[in-house]
Amino acid sequence: MEEGKVYSPDGVFAHLAMLEAQAHEAAVKQEEKEQQEEKLARLKARVQELRAQRDELRAKVDLQQKGQLGKEGVVSDPAQPSARAVVEWNIKRIKAMLQVFYLTGISGKLTKRGVCFCISTAYEGTYLDSYHLDLLTKPEEVQIHRHSIPIFIPLEQIATKYLQTDIRRFLAVLSDHLNAYVGRRYQADQLQEHFSNQIEGTLQRNSLCNLLVFNYNVSKKSQTFPFNARLLYGDLCCSLPTEVIVSCTPDAPASLAARAAAHSDAFRRVALHKAFRSFGSAAESVDGAP
Amino acid sequence: MDETVAEYIRRTVLKIPRDEIKTMLEKWGFLSETQLQTVNFHQIKENISLDVVQLCEENSADIKQAAVLDIIYNHIYPNKRVWSVYQMNKRGEEMEFFDLTDFKKKFKRRLRSALKNVTINFREYEDNAIWIRIAWGTPYTKPNQYKTSYAVYHSQTPYVFISASVLRSNLPLLCQALVVASNYHDIREMELRSHSLNSLKDIVFKRYSQNFQTYYPRPLQERNVALESADPRIVQESRNEKERIQRVNREVFGDGPQPKLEFAQYKLETMFKSDPKMDVLDKKEPFRCLVKFSSPHLLESLKSLAPAGMADAPLSPLLTCIPQKARNYFKIREKKGFFPGSFVSP
Repeated sequence: MEEGKVYSPDGVFAHLAMLEAQAHEAAVKQEEKEQQEEKLARLKARVQELRAQRDELRAKVDLQQKGQLGKEGVVSDPAQPSARAVVEWNIKRIKAMLQVFYLTGISGKLTKRGVCFCISTAYEGTYLDSYHLDLLTKPEEVQIHRHSIPIFIPLEQIATKYLQTDIRRFLAVLSDHLNAYVGRRYQADQLQEHFSNQIEGTLQRNSLCNLLVFNYNVSKKSQTFPFNARLLYGDLCCSLPTEVIVSCTPDAPASLAARAAAHSDAFRRVALHKAFRSFGSAAESVDGAP
Repeated sequence: MDETVAEYIRRTVLKIPRDEIKTMLEKWGFLSETQLQTVNFHQIKENISLDVVQLCEENSADIKQAAVLDIIYNHIYPNKRVWSVYQMNKRGEEMEFFDLTDFKKKFKRRLRSALKNVTINFREYEDNAIWIRIAWGTPYTKPNQYKTSYAVYHSQTPYVFISASVLRSNLPLLCQALVVASNYHDIREMELRSHSLNSLKDIVFKRYSQNFQTYYPRPLQERNVALESADPRIVQESRNEKERIQRVNREVFGDGPQPKLEFAQYKLETMFKSDPKMDVLDKKEPFRCLVKFSSPHLLESLKSLAPAGMADAPLSPLLTCIPQKARNYFKIREKKGFFPGSFVSP
């Protein structure tokens, strides 16, 4: 151990303890000083604020006296809006613009090597999933670097057709596919959720939700499911079926068989769960009629 | 009821953890509520299984129902098996409607035409997953219910997840049946294997967390405030570096949980680069070497390497490309820079 230059009567540890205590005191003092300074700064800022307010009110009073007060509140200071107000207004405007872009469904952000697109989907007012596409813009071609598009959407096919030649079309077509897919899925989910007692078991569907098969009934209380529906969605960009086959069990009464055609038509025209809702009300009105 | 079926049901029930037996039997739906109430689920498993077999005897269970119980067990505990991912290709661009009944019919027909003695069962789940259980026999013996293969297929996707049994010789039959039933042209095994079926699905279906740069408002990530409220006398000397590491790590791995893989294997067929003076290998041959990383959760541990100070950030792309390239077996040959081995041809 080295010989210290300072020998204290109680030993090295005591010396260290003393040094620590000194350092602690100094730190406490420093902290106090800083707190004082902070407080001072805050008070100064407050003074500024109050002064600004006072000026504002003064200006208002002046104008009022001169009788130039038109609409209330707009007068504040036409000549020189404060810098802060300008910044705030700009921020609001940009946020609104980003929100608009987000609402259109396709928004993008430039990255170091390209663009990253976000495709947001919705169906009849309900916002559903968002999907991302990270594109690299090289001089000769555009490449898909990463993405979160579901595997059953024919991304590669769409990209081969449009990505190099017309990016806008590529995004539009992809967006159509995705929106239609979530729309079909939403309808099937809604049907399963709200009309489960009118459907036998669960809906038979597939990943793309472009083929739905189920047995159903129009009344909530019956135990049989005389109708069989088979919906084919031939157009992947469409959330309504292209082909509908509604059939009845052979032993069903003729009245039901007649209604099958009406159902088939309804499925082709309106959303699945809405069609079911209309069946329900139609059935009630029929039953209620004398 | 067949003796073998009874024994099979008994052994399947024994596999289930005691607390889960009742729930699983309810899911199975083969025994009625009243029947289940007669069983004491607090006794030892040995006795529970015997009671269950007794009840199944009353309902005359056959192998089909027993197989369904097995599927349910494997669906709830898929991590007990090792799953491989297979990719199918099709040449045409026609959109398929994928009819489930059609798929099942074609699959059974194709498989049975090649091998009569098989037990085939299907079960569909809400996430569009079709679970296929196959018990293999031989041309001269009945199917062995204890030697089963499982295939999980999501409609209209080119991927199948297969957990083969010991009898790998039956794999080509299974693959053929899958290709025919799903209207594809060929199938090849990918270099991606794990115990965690859901993680494999996350990787190939691109459901894992990727860090995309967007303006979409994401909830702010809470910084680790605990670090900063430590003793004020302790100064973080390398704070900038720490923050850089966090940022780079986040860019590479994203914010969410990583898919669960148990290992990554790199087969090196590169030339040994040594000091020419040392002249270790006088024959200029590739130095064959196998590097294997193992971990209960490989990607999470890779993610924590740089923040823990054990590796430099950014990590080698050989490690970080695993989810994106959807592989955890690599062959590295001699090329300029890094170039993972190309696909082994089917």
